[in-house]
Amino acid sequence: MSQAVVSINAGILLPVLAPAVGAAVVLVTDVVAQNKRRVHYVIALVSLAIGAVATFAGLGMLAGDTRQTLCLPGGGQCMYVADSVGSALQLAALIAAAVTLMLSWPEDKEVPRGGTAVIVSLVLAATAGATAVAGARDLGSWLVALELATLPTVALVALRGARSAISGAVALLTAALVSFGFLALAASLWFTATSSGFLSPEAALAVVDDPVRRPILVLAVVLVVAGIGFKLSLVPFHAWTPEAYDGAPLPIAAFLAGVSKIAALAALLIVIRAIVPMGASVLTAIAVVAAVSMTLGNIMALRQDGVLRLLAWSTVAQAGWVVLPLAAVSSAAVQASGAYLLAYVLATILAFAVVAALVQTRGAARARDLSEYRGLLRDHPFLASALGLALLSLAGLPPGILGLVAKVGALRPVVASELWLLAVVAAVNAVLGVAVYVRWLRAIITSVDASPNASPQAASATTPDGTVVMAAPVVRPHPVTLLAVGLSAVALVLTSLSPQLILGLLGR
Amino acid sequence: MVVLLLALAIPAVTGTALIVSSRGMGANSGEGNANLLSLVASLATAAFVIAAVIIRPEVDQPWLPSLGVRWQFSVDGISAPLLLLTALLSIAVVVHARSHPPYGGSPATFYGCLQLVEFGALATFFARDAIIFFIAFEIVLIPMWVLIARYGDAHDLGARADASGRFVLYTVLGSTLMLVGILALVQSAGTANLDDLAKLHGAGMERQTQIIIAALLLVGLGIKIPVWPLHTWLPPAHTIAPTAGSVLLAAVLLKMGTYGVVRLVIAPLPIGFGALAPAFATVGVVGILWGGLCCLVENDLKRLIAYSSVAHMGFVVLGLASGTTAGLQAALFANVAHGVVSALLFFLVGGLKARWGSADLATARAALREISPRLGLALVVGFAASLGLPGLVGFWGEFLAMYAAWSPAPDRPQGLMRVLAVIAVTGTALAAGYSLRVLRLIWSGDRVAPAHADARGPEWSVLAVLVTAVLVLGLAPGLLLNSTIKDVNIITSEVSR
Repeated sequence: MSQAVVSINAGILLPVLAPAVGAAVVLVTDVVAQNKRRVHYVIALVSLAIGAVATFAGLGMLAGDTRQTLCLPGGGQCMYVADSVGSALQLAALIAAAVTLMLSWPEDKEVPRGGTAVIVSLVLAATAGATAVAGARDLGSWLVALELATLPTVALVALRGARSAISGAVALLTAALVSFGFLALAASLWFTATSSGFLSPEAALAVVDDPVRRPILVLAVVLVVAGIGFKLSLVPFHAWTPEAYDGAPLPIAAFLAGVSKIAALAALLIVIRAIVPMGASVLTAIAVVAAVSMTLGNIMALRQDGVLRLLAWSTVAQAGWVVLPLAAVSSAAVQASGAYLLAYVLATILAFAVVAALVQTRGAARARDLSEYRGLLRDHPFLASALGLALLSLAGLPPGILGLVAKVGALRPVVASELWLLAVVAAVNAVLGVAVYVRWLRAIITSVDASPNASPQAASATTPDGTVVMAAPVVRPHPVTLLAVGLSAVALVLTSLSPQLILGLLGR
Repeated sequence: MVVLLLALAIPAVTGTALIVSSRGMGANSGEGNANLLSLVASLATAAFVIAAVIIRPEVDQPWLPSLGVRWQFSVDGISAPLLLLTALLSIAVVVHARSHPPYGGSPATFYGCLQLVEFGALATFFARDAIIFFIAFEIVLIPMWVLIARYGDAHDLGARADASGRFVLYTVLGSTLMLVGILALVQSAGTANLDDLAKLHGAGMERQTQIIIAALLLVGLGIKIPVWPLHTWLPPAHTIAPTAGSVLLAAVLLKMGTYGVVRLVIAPLPIGFGALAPAFATVGVVGILWGGLCCLVENDLKRLIAYSSVAHMGFVVLGLASGTTAGLQAALFANVAHGVVSALLFFLVGGLKARWGSADLATARAALREISPRLGLALVVGFAASLGLPGLVGFWGEFLAMYAAWSPAPDRPQGLMRVLAVIAVTGTALAAGYSLRVLRLIWSGDRVAPAHADARGPEWSVLAVLVTAVLVLGLAPGLLLNSTIKDVNIITSEVSR
């Protein structure tokens, strides 16, 4: 192994290299030409677009097909392997990062704390970490890439400087450190059990029949679940989520809900895929974590009056759904989990984009308060419809058919493994989830002037007055924000009409 | 094939277009336009549904290769009556809304939701792929929720929020349990095609597996039907929903539950269903008594009809559980009969509630016989059919169901089924009791104040057509029984083997 790595195929690595190089270029540009804020964003979007285009070759490949590079000499194992699930997650991460940047597009006058160059390069760095972890196959790059995807987000949350932002950042940092501890321990146990630095099925397969080493491997997997649990916001490792979402600037909260979750799941899926050949085992740890996450997340989300905390708790519940199929270890389960995550990210990003647009037009206080969403359908029909579609997709109800199909896919491996109790818990949680999102949806479709005393006829005849007149002068959302809402909404509509667009990415 | 796709596409596109453009259509001028567009769409849909029922086309296209889901739609004798019922009642609710326009929000959204409910119901009855069946089942939820939550009775906003929330949460629980059952069924049978599942008759599936899957499906579908004790969402939803919502809920949505039991439980899981049939029949009969007793004391007329629905669906359940051809025929007939009768009664009561300002029976009203003979006639026919008077549509289904329960399939416990049949007979006595109570309270008497207008125009035409349907199907039940017998025989010949 003293010899240098033989093969380096930059084309295959491009989904990782593009955002990483983009981050460097942004920093250099900032040094060369100051106060060119929009240029930073343009560079970032271009680099993300290049990375996204580079993932296309890996999408929808047949099961077993991979694109690999950084291989050891002599036909040895490769440190970077992109299969269709990994490529799809990379694509989603790059697109989600682009939407995040669009949401934080700089206003003309105000300069965000920390400067745009720092924010943009941190976002790009974390995105590079997310795409790298989706391809990483050796313990070292897997760990480093996962931390690269995490640590910049701590800074991004803290940069706002407000008290709540600092406490959110501290919560996130603590979670990241503990999670890293678990993962490092898991990596060392994996190495102890398999004597292999690679997260590959061959390594795991060698241990299956060994009564001494098999428990060590199982412990490693359990620790991976715990470590990733922090990043995916699974109960009992979820406590940082509401703090961080509520304290972070809104686009960064969207980043945490989107790109960070993709990175975490990509890391988990690599380990799961490695242990698939170990046989028809059921990961009880994942089953328990999934069931508890869904239940607690939904119940807490039902009690929230702030939309960001609601979204945070809904993330906890949705994370349970994401790992639900993995309770049954199979390659179908890996695809189902990936599909659920993509559906979740798409819908959540749209919800965040709408909230961001409302922050710009109505002010942060109103946009963050659930009760202020009453009458949104009348005031902002486009934003309200987009938000409604996102919420229904998260709830898994038509017209959000993408979410529904994702739920069907997630339940299928569970039912196939005859985990009846888990399936019924999931069914009950589907109901709780609907209750969460319908509560928000009801506010949106309720007309403001319907008060208990008004007679029905009068209610329909009354025109809006009072509140609307007294409200601040109408500020239109930034066009780039509206573009982000529009693009996400179009993507959600198209994928709801034909969910195969998403399912097909993950492999045939 | 085009016929079938058009029958689905027209309501889907019209509904979406109406909702999207609801802002463009102003409150007053848009009302007429939205109604007209909706009427044209419903008529066109009905024409294509009738054509589809006659020429029986089949659609089979891949949709989600990754999950093995295909667009598979076709028509057979079991779904044809329900398709016709859905299409015709969708016209009726739009026509009726000309007399009683919606309030509470934009009319375009109201009509759009009606169209989407029709779309979901038609897709459910057309579907031949179990997963598509489930998705179609879910499509009706949100439009119906909007109808209740936004256009429902606004006297008590808390009650309205509670009713709409209960409706959506109960049904989602039911359909998700059904989904788990469907996935398990598809997994063990190896096909998602409903016709293939019916042909397999559970071949190669363990008794234990069959029972688990059948239990999941029966609980899930039982919420939709609804079966006692899972019915508690129905009375509030009916009480609050606008007339169109109540009609579609009772006449179309509840039918999706019983239809699902036939397609997903009885046909593919004969052994599992056989094991659970005694329990299923028992809760059905409890529902008959429970609904009847509630009706005897209920003072809200809409809620009373909702409880009577629980009782009527109890007869359907009893027929399904008997496991014989006669029982299945009875269930399918009673299903359609309840669709017609409950539609008639909800149209009627919706109109009365609009005139009275409430649906409270305790308030003294003018006798319908005296001041509005047309409404009075429709009310008498509706409740007479509801109590199962021979010669009207309500009679055949319930009579046959009790007959089937008295002589059930060989593998059913005969003693229990006979006891249940006897109790069900008492249920018809309760039905006579509450029907006559309502007639005594609001139809007979000689009070003529406060006066209100009789039904005329669109309202009267809808009522007259439904009254005619009650009489025609009551006098010539063969029209319906002959349509279903062939496909019922396919199911039961194997069940009783």
